[in-house]
Amino acid sequence: MTKLRLARKIIQWLLLAVAVLLLITGLGITEYRIVETISFGLITKNVAHQIHTALGLWIFFVVLLALHIILPFIGRKKN
Amino acid sequence: MKRMTALILASVLLVLLVIGGCNGGAVDLDPAEVREYEGEDLSSINDFRENSIKGPQQVAIDGYQLQITGLVASPRSYSYDEVLNTYTGYKKVVTLHCVEGWSVNILWEGVLVEELLAAAGPLPEAKIAIFHAYDGYTSSLTLDYITDNDIMMAYKMNEVTLPAERGFPFALVAESKWGYKWVKWITEIELSDDEDYQGYWESRGYSDSGDLDESFFD
Repeated sequence: MTKLRLARKIIQWLLLAVAVLLLITGLGITEYRIVETISFGLITKNVAHQIHTALGLWIFFVVLLALHIILPFIGRKKN
Repeated sequence: MKRMTALILASVLLVLLVIGGCNGGAVDLDPAEVREYEGEDLSSINDFRENSIKGPQQVAIDGYQLQITGLVASPRSYSYDEVLNTYTGYKKVVTLHCVEGWSVNILWEGVLVEELLAAAGPLPEAKIAIFHAYDGYTSSLTLDYITDNDIMMAYKMNEVTLPAERGFPFALVAESKWGYKWVKWITEIELSDDEDYQGYWESRGYSDSGDLDESFFD
């Protein structure tokens, strides 16, 4: 596996993880009763709020998304 | 293997989206609400998101008593009608801003908390008012804030009686405070000298002051 392919794989999985985290913490704010229950009290409304907004997770998401879109075009062989 | 992983992830996302879409269904409310007051556009009473700690409370008005307790010269107890008939009603358009990111601009009608408390005779050492709700929720405001800002306890919104979903019989209109300070289904107002008192969300990391111009995190 080339370094570029490895980088793509890592970015794909990181992007998925961040997207799921954003989704869960977002629901942890608006549907906190359900999320708090199914996470056994681990993701409280406050914790979800802190992760979702205060940590700048969206910046990380945008950067990963941009890389995920751009990387396939880099190193593509010309016909 | 890859197909299986993708299928599992898609299922998880689908479940989360379904949970997100389940808001308990639409709420039928009085259609006679006003949507404009003195030239100002108002939100609908249906524009709120339901985010109370135990869901909407159904408070039976027969037997309901609003208690004024704590550091007062003479504790009081009022029925719903006594509050409405004894105290002057005031109207004001105030916007509620929720920490979740939504806001609603509503015409509120209610009695001044200051006038309710004055009748009970607050003792000099009383510093805060703790608002107790029917579902066990609590939050507090300083007495200085209540008197300086003419804080209301509403019984109507947009000219219709407060629906159960919005806090019937009484909901606090904590102007310039985040939504978690707007206590619904009020059953008791307790005066206290404990300035470090923390209500339901305040004890879970949200700011005690709840001021709109500050972060809602402690």
